[in-house]
Formats: sequence, C-alpha cells, structure tokens
Amino acid sequence: MTTVSDQPTSASSTVGRRRSTTEIEQDTPQWRKVLTSDPAARVTSLLAFVLFWVVVSALFDRVPGPVAVWTSLVDEFSRGEVFGNFGSTLYRFGVGVALATVVGVAVGVLMGLSQLSRAFLESPVLVALSIPAIIWAFLTVMWFGFGDTGPIITTFLTSVPFVIVNVAQGVRGVSRDLRDMSATYDVPMGRRVRDLVLPAVTGYIAAGVRFAIIIGWNGVLLAEWFGGGGGVGYRARFWYDANRYAGFAAWVVLFVGFIVLLDRFVLDKAIQRSFRWRDAR
Amino acid sequence: MTDQLVMGPDTGPSTPAAPDREAAARRTARGRRWRRTAVLALGWVAIYAVWEATSWWFGSRLLPRPHEVLQSAIEIIETGNFVGDFSASVLKTFAGFGVAALVGAPIGYAMGRSRYWRAFFHDGVTIAGTIPAIVYAVMSLIVFGLSNLGPILAVALVSAPYVALNVAEGIRGVDNQLITMSEAFGRTPRQIRREVLVPTIVPFVFAAIRMCFAVAWKVEALTEVFGGRSGVGFQIRTEYQLYDISAVLAWMVLFIAFMLVIERLVLAKAESRLLAWRPEERGAAL
Amino acid sequence: MAVLTVTNLSKTFNLGTARESRILDDISFEVSGQTFVSIVGPSGCGKSTLLNIISGVEEHTSGDITLTSDAGGPARMGYVFQDPRLLPWRSVMKNMMYVQDDQSRDTVARAERYLDMVGLKKNADFYPGQLSGGMQQRVGIARAFAVEPDLLLMDEPFSHLDAITARGLREQLQDIWAQSKKTVVFVTHDVVEAVELSDRIIVLQPGGLIYEDITIDLPRPRRQSDKAVATLQADVLARLETLKAMAAAEPVAEPVA
Repeated sequence: MTTVSDQPTSASSTVGRRRSTTEIEQDTPQWRKVLTSDPAARVTSLLAFVLFWVVVSALFDRVPGPVAVWTSLVDEFSRGEVFGNFGSTLYRFGVGVALATVVGVAVGVLMGLSQLSRAFLESPVLVALSIPAIIWAFLTVMWFGFGDTGPIITTFLTSVPFVIVNVAQGVRGVSRDLRDMSATYDVPMGRRVRDLVLPAVTGYIAAGVRFAIIIGWNGVLLAEWFGGGGGVGYRARFWYDANRYAGFAAWVVLFVGFIVLLDRFVLDKAIQRSFRWRDAR
Repeated sequence: MTDQLVMGPDTGPSTPAAPDREAAARRTARGRRWRRTAVLALGWVAIYAVWEATSWWFGSRLLPRPHEVLQSAIEIIETGNFVGDFSASVLKTFAGFGVAALVGAPIGYAMGRSRYWRAFFHDGVTIAGTIPAIVYAVMSLIVFGLSNLGPILAVALVSAPYVALNVAEGIRGVDNQLITMSEAFGRTPRQIRREVLVPTIVPFVFAAIRMCFAVAWKVEALTEVFGGRSGVGFQIRTEYQLYDISAVLAWMVLFIAFMLVIERLVLAKAESRLLAWRPEERGAAL
Repeated sequence: MAVLTVTNLSKTFNLGTARESRILDDISFEVSGQTFVSIVGPSGCGKSTLLNIISGVEEHTSGDITLTSDAGGPARMGYVFQDPRLLPWRSVMKNMMYVQDDQSRDTVARAERYLDMVGLKKNADFYPGQLSGGMQQRVGIARAFAVEPDLLLMDEPFSHLDAITARGLREQLQDIWAQSKKTVVFVTHDVVEAVELSDRIIVLQPGGLIYEDITIDLPRPRRQSDKAVATLQADVLARLETLKAMAAAEPVAEPVA
C-alpha cells in the first residue's frame, strides 16, 4: 500500500531537502577530528596559558616570565628552603583543618537536628562567616606571637563556619520520611545517627571540608605572612619584600601545584566515594 | 494543668469547634515564634559574652572590649571620612565584579555549549577556583603596583572562576526540550540564545554573584591592606600599624554591616525583579 | 499534490563497538495537502524518531526527505510536542510570538485568533507557570497553528493529559483543523485516537517498517460517542491483532539519542 516515488515531485513550488548523517560524516576531514578531541583541547589550553604568561611578562616588566620563575625555583630547592617551610605550613594547616572538621561536623549535626540550636547558633555562624581572614591573622599574631599557634587558630577560625553551614544543610536534607520511619520503629539514637544521618551527610561533610581547605589555605598563608615563624607564607613574603618577584612566583607555582595534586588525587576521590550511593543510579 | 488544657488543642475533651482549634493553633504558632526570637537574641548575647571573655583573657590592648570598638566606630562615623573610603571600596568591588562577569560569563557559556571549550577551560577554571585569595591579592599588586587597579584585578581573579563554573552549570541545565522546540519552529541560533539560554542562566549568574559577593569584598579589603591608597583595607592597615586595634575592628564591623545591607538591598531587589516569572519569586514579592 | 515525500528513509544508532540499532528501515511514503495523517505503532517502532527527522531536529542516516511549499519560500513547519514546551519566563502571548518570523500587527491578530479558538484569549498575559497542564498544551496547539504551517507535526500531544482533558482537546483540535485545513502528521500509540482524528493511518511495526496504510473515510465532525467511529475503531484494532504479537516478541529498545 505504500507509495514509493523515485523522483521527488518538484513543480513550480519550493523544495527543501535535508542531508543525511552519512553525507555529513563523509564531509568532515580527519585532521579536524584529531584537533577537536578532548586531549588536544587540554594541550592547546596549556600552551595558550604559557603563551599568555610570556606575553604578560613581556608587557609588564614587574611580572617574571616562566624561565625566571623556574630558575628561582631551582635555587630555592638547592638552598634547602623548600621542605622545612613546606612542612611547617602543612603541619599548621593540617591541625587547623582537622580541628575545624571535628568541631564543624559536631556543631553542624546539632544545628541540623534541632530547631532551637539552629536559632541559637545562626547569628554566631553568620558573624563568623563574615569576618575576613586578615582580621583573624592580625589578632592571632598579636595574641600568640610567632609560633605555630597563630596560623593554626587562624586556619581553624576561618574554615570552621563553612564546615558547619555545609553539614547543617546536609542534615536538614535528610529525608523527613526516613526520620519518621526511624521514630516509628523506635530505632535507638546512636544507630540513627550512625546509619541514617552520617551516611546521608558524608557527601556534604566532604564538600564542606573541601571548601574549608580552600579557605583554610588562605588563612594559614595570611597568618604566616604577618607572623614571623617560617612557612610558605613567610618565605613568599621574604621574596616579595625583597622585590624579587620571581622568588614569590616560584612559591606560588610550588604551592598551587601541591593544591592541585591534593585536590585531584585525594579530595575528588573522597567526594566521589562519599556520594557513591547517590550517583549509583 | 489548666495551662496545658489551654495550650494543647488535643489534650482537652474533644470539642471540635473549628474556631477554637484555629485559635489554639495560632497561639502555639505564636508561642513558637516568640521562643525562636528569644533564642536568636540569646545567640547575640552569646557573641557578646564570648567577645568580653576573650578580651578579658588577652587584655583589652590585644582585644579591645565591645564598647571600646563601638566608641571607635562612632568616632569614625562622626569624622565623616568613612564615606570616601567606603565608596572607594564598594566601587572597586563592583568594578571587579563587572570584569569577572564580562570574562567569566562568556567562558562559562562556551564551556556549557561546546564539548571542545569545556575540555579547554575545565582544568584552568577549577584550578583558578582553588587558589587562595592572598595569592591573587599579591599577584595583582605585583602587576599594577600601588594603585586602584590592584584590588579590582584581585576581585576579578577571585570571582571569574565562580561565574564561569556557575554559568556553565546553568547552560548545561538548559531544558533541551525548549531548544528542540525552537529548532522545530525554525528559530535562529541568535533567537535561541536570547530567548532560551540567557533567561535560563540568569538565576545561576545571580547565585554566582551572591556567592562571590561575600568573598569578593573581603579580597578587595585584603588587597587594600597589602597595598592600597584608599578604601577600608587601607584604613585597617594604617590603624594596625598604629596599634589601634579597636579602630581596626571598628572599621571591620562597619564594613561588614555596610556590605550586608548592600547585599540585601541591591542584589536581592535586582534578583526578584529579573526572576518575576518564577512562582516562588512571585510568592515572595506579594 | 504531495507536501511531504519520504523516500527510502533509514535511521540507525551506533551502540558502541560495531553494534547498531535500526530504528527506521527503508521507509517511503507521501503525504498530500490538507490531509490529517496519523502514524501509529507500539512504543519503540520509531514513530517519534520519524517525526523528529521530518522536522529536522534529528538527522537521518540515509534516504531522502522532501518538503514542498506551495506559497514559495522554505516550507514552514509547526510542531506540537508531548509536553507544552513553553518558555516559562515569557507570557502566553510572547510565547505565541516567539515562533513567528514577522512581528507585524497582522501576525499578532492571527495569534490572538488561534488563542481564542482554544479558549485562552483572556490568559494572554499569564506566565505558563500560572496555567494548568491542559491549558499549557492548548497554548502549544494554538502556537503551532498560528504559524500557518505547510506541515503540522504532532507528537502524542495528549498522552500526558488525563482522559477527560484529552477528550476535550481532541474535539477542539478537530474544530480548529476543520477551519484551517492544515496538513497534519500526527504520531500516537493510541489507535482509537487515530481513528477519531485522521483521514489516513500509517501503521509502523517494530524494526521500523510500514505494516499497513489505512484510509479512514468517515464524515466530520467525529465524536468519540459516534456509533460509526466506534465500529471502525474496533475494526482497525482487529486488523492490528498480529502486530500485537509482534510487539510482544520484540524487545523494546529505543536508545536515547
């Protein structure tokens, strides 16, 4: 019953015809496919960045070029300044973020579960969120002098509100139905927190900690910059004050490289793991 | 016991007269609201108490007491020279924002629309988003020296990755059905951009701006602390060098209050105007 | 004269390494002007894909599609989707005008006329979010007619509505069609609906082949309650009995593009 017409009927009227995928595929040359692939895009972007850097350093004579930064980096290594300073920064930062995580998770769970505690803690958390890290750095340097305590406290104080906010949000997101279900079955509180609240919140904790880490780096570096007790921030300031910007940039490169590796190989994995239940659909 | 009968609608002998129940429910709701306000106030009292206790512990030279800071704040307001510094800081923050939106939004748009540009920008943008603000602040000073351009560049550098990521997220969340609808009706790419893509990303841009704003003014102030010629950060550094900590804190408190007001007034207003089509926004506007 | 000519049309999807899924298999047919044609078939037989290819939203693997416009210029198309697909940030009237090429006063008047035909003239300034699902779908129908298309494509426009709303809309659609006499290609899985609305039914079978091509010759307007309609519906359903067995044997595989 079907009508097969080999010649399209084109009279005086306009006729539109569409290309099939087979035709389009045949028209795309091979070199284009290679150049527009994902790895090629990443390589191109890296090249573009280096080019951009070179151009900027040529335009502004205060900006050091890639070669100068590389030489300073090698110098800094041969002077043996890298590992000691990096180590003390990492130690301060680690202790600060660990404290922030423990305290933040506890307070956040409390705020998420109880209406009253949320009302009570809302304003303090808001205030803590809005105080700039620089103020904490100034104050802790005065309070604790040039040791490890100042940077640790600064890291803690700047990052803890972010953990609290994230965790509280996660706990509040735990489905009301599931909480009611646990209540009707009389599930004991300990098991409720362990099997219901914590698994549901792990992802938010991870996200909060990641944010806290970004904020925390800023805190530790600032405190070290204004304090005198060594560390990455102190060393970077040394070069900055000496007007040797290549030295400063070398530390930035070193530090940013470290952050990227940490983020990519530790945090990303951890976050994916803790959101596994959600993405496994 | 009588109190309980009045308060709880379910405890009394069942007299299901509707007005009574409603009144009781309203009363409990009012009670709950009152209790919430009280606890909220308690939170502020706690902040005050912690502050007092800390300054007692360290001594008021290392942490001035609240009323000292208040006094400094009043002095700053009375002399009237805060207006110039505040407006300088706010203008620089918004200028930085403008630059960030101009650079970040197109990058995010490209990332959301094309696979190639996503691969091209993704690593750079995420790395840029994790670099601490202090790095940007000092970098901007190195590039521009002591000038107003430093803080603007720092704000732009901090905000642009957020804007780009949010816009990309928004573009990827575009309702594909609206795109196919537009294509089926033969709309041009330009029309689709203007009528479908841009309205979709407006809420995401706002989310990015609000998220950034809290970070941005701090970075702006930070850059001024390191090397500004005017602005709140410049005043904070000057006072810090004079060891006048209560003035440092007074400037900070004033600036925080000012920025919160700006966020509530300017940003929230603009947002509710632009998003009037959303049912939840209409509800909020009534 | 044929408005739409489909010749040896095939569509295959690549499913990874050397596997491919054939959605449409060498289909040919013609649709002549001012007719209401339904394409019917069990889910997974490729009828929505066929409609998307005709509209140009999806690409075909091989074969030819030719659209003829007797007004001159490129053929204009209207499309009614399963869901309304209105821009939530634009008012009803602005949604109607969004798909129009010229923004003249005549066009506005035409859009208003079609909006009136679906009974929504007073809702012209509403946002879609303020309308019910059925009302939104009526806007979608008015929008498609208002472009005065050479070819109007409809993809199961009533399948997401409740039975009563759908019935009302079917009657409204018949009335509008009777007034405008547009060429319509209407996709549905519901044979009963197809008999009520169409002049001709093309039945697709799993694997993307044409199973049968049925001409429906009943007077209009038709109503679901008409005896003659009901008899013919039963008759057509009986003729498609073997197709039912075929569909049950075939694994439903409509890959997401």
